[in-house]
Amino acid sequence: MLLPMLGWTQVTPTPNRVDGYGAPATTAPSPANPSNHGETELNILSSYYSQDGNRGAVEGGIGTQQLTDVTPTIILNVPLDSVTRVSANLGMDYYSSASTDRIDQVLSSASSQDTRYHLDLGLARQLADKRTIVGVGGGFSKEYDYTSFNVTGSWARASADGNRELSVAGQAFFDRATLILPIELRVNGGGEHGSGFDTRQSYNLNVVYSQVINRRLQVAVSTELVAQRGLLSTPFHRVYFRETGGNFGTARAELLPRQRYKYPVGLRLNYYATDLLQFRGFYRFYNDNFGITAHTLELEAPVKVTPFFVLYPFYRYHTQTAANYFAPYLDHSISDQYFTSDYDLAAFSANKIGLGVRYSPVYGIGRFKTPFKGRVAKFKALEVRYAYYRQSVGLTANLISADLSFTMP
Amino acid sequence: MSYPKLTWLALGGFFLLSSSALTGCVSVAAYQKVYLNDEDMQLANKRIQTYETNVESYREGAGGANGGKVGGGCGCN
Repeated sequence: MLLPMLGWTQVTPTPNRVDGYGAPATTAPSPANPSNHGETELNILSSYYSQDGNRGAVEGGIGTQQLTDVTPTIILNVPLDSVTRVSANLGMDYYSSASTDRIDQVLSSASSQDTRYHLDLGLARQLADKRTIVGVGGGFSKEYDYTSFNVTGSWARASADGNRELSVAGQAFFDRATLILPIELRVNGGGEHGSGFDTRQSYNLNVVYSQVINRRLQVAVSTELVAQRGLLSTPFHRVYFRETGGNFGTARAELLPRQRYKYPVGLRLNYYATDLLQFRGFYRFYNDNFGITAHTLELEAPVKVTPFFVLYPFYRYHTQTAANYFAPYLDHSISDQYFTSDYDLAAFSANKIGLGVRYSPVYGIGRFKTPFKGRVAKFKALEVRYAYYRQSVGLTANLISADLSFTMP
Repeated sequence: MSYPKLTWLALGGFFLLSSSALTGCVSVAAYQKVYLNDEDMQLANKRIQTYETNVESYREGAGGANGGKVGGGCGCN
C-alpha cells in the first residue's frame, strides 16, 4: 500500500520523474531533447525501506509502526523517432506491515504482507518549433484493497535561448478502496472486510517556472495544487475517545472530511561552486484545508572525487503543524465531528541525513550482448544511496536505494 | 519564535529570494552552459530519490511540490 510508483512520459535527456503520477517534475526538466541521441534507456531501480515506531494509527496512535518495503522497478524510455518517445514504468511494492495484523487483533503471522503492482505508460512529442513538448499518459496500480487509475497531460515550452522554461501538467486519479474495518466495528460480523467500497478522486495541477541566473546558478519555482474528494480517511485506523476509555469495542473508525485542498510552493536553487563541489537547495512551504502548515528544507552537496565518481551527502529538515482533526490516543471527544490519531497528521519535525554514491564513467561500466538482434547494451552508470530518517514523535526509518542505468543504441 | 511568525518570515524570504534571483539573471548562451548541464545541476529530484520522496509524502501530512506522490494509492500502513 505504501509508495505508489507510477510512471510517466519523460522526454528529457536525463529522465528524472519516475514516481510518477504523470506530471512533470515540479522542478524544471532538462533542455528539451526527445531524441535523446536515439538511445533506448533502461533503468532498474530498487529500494529497501524499514521503519519502526510506536504511534501506529491502526491501534489508535499507540500501536507498532513496524514496516518493511521492497520495491523493484523497471523504467523504459524508447525513442520512436527523432521527436517522439514512449515510456513505461513497471514495478511492484512488496511490503510487510506489523500494524496491519492488528486490524483483527489477532496476529496471523509475524506481520501482514501484500504486494502492489503498478504499470504506467506515456507518450511525449516535441513540436515543430523545437521548443515545446506535449505529453499524455496513463496507468494503474493494484493491491489487495486498493485500485488506482490515472490519466495525465503535460505541456512545456522553453524560451528561444533556453534560459527559461514554463511547464504545466495536470493529472487525475480515480481510486477505489475496499472498506476494511477493525474487527470489533464490523456490523454483524461484517464478513471479511467490514462492508463495501468507496472511491477517491484526486486532481493535481503542477506549474513550474525555471530560470538560468548565470553560468553557475539556476532556479525553479513550482507549485502543485491538489484537490481531493471522496474517501480520505482510512477505515481500519482506530480512534479512542476520552469518554469511553481504551477498551476494544469502544473505538470508532477514523473519520476525516471528504474534501481536501493542498497549496504547496517550492523553490529550488542549484549552484555550481567549483568543479569539485556543487550545491543543491530546495525549500517548500505547504498549507492545506486540514489545517497543516509546513516548511521543508533540503540541502545536498555533490563532491566530484573524480569526474566520474561523485559522493553527495544530503540533509533534509521538515516541520509541520497538526491537522485540525488530529488528537493522540484518548484525547478526542466523542462529540468531535472528525477525528484521527494518525501521526502522519500530527505536529512534528523530521530530520533526514544520508549519503549517495554515483559511478558513471564516460564509456560506461561495461557492455554486453542482448537477445534483441544481438544489439550491444551499455551498463552506463550505478548509483547507490542511503538515508536515515527520524521524526520527533519517535518514528525512525532506514532506506537504501540503487539505480542501474543501461542504454542501447 | 512563534509558528505564524516563522511562516511569514519564510514566505517573505522565499519571495524575496525568488524575485531577486529572477531579476538578476543574465543571458547565458548554449556554449556557456557547461556547468549548468552538469548532471548534479539538474533542477529536479534525482531518480534514485523518488522512493524517499514517496515515503515522505505518506509519513508527513504535508506533501506536494517536491515531486512526491499526492494522490492515488493508499499508503495507509
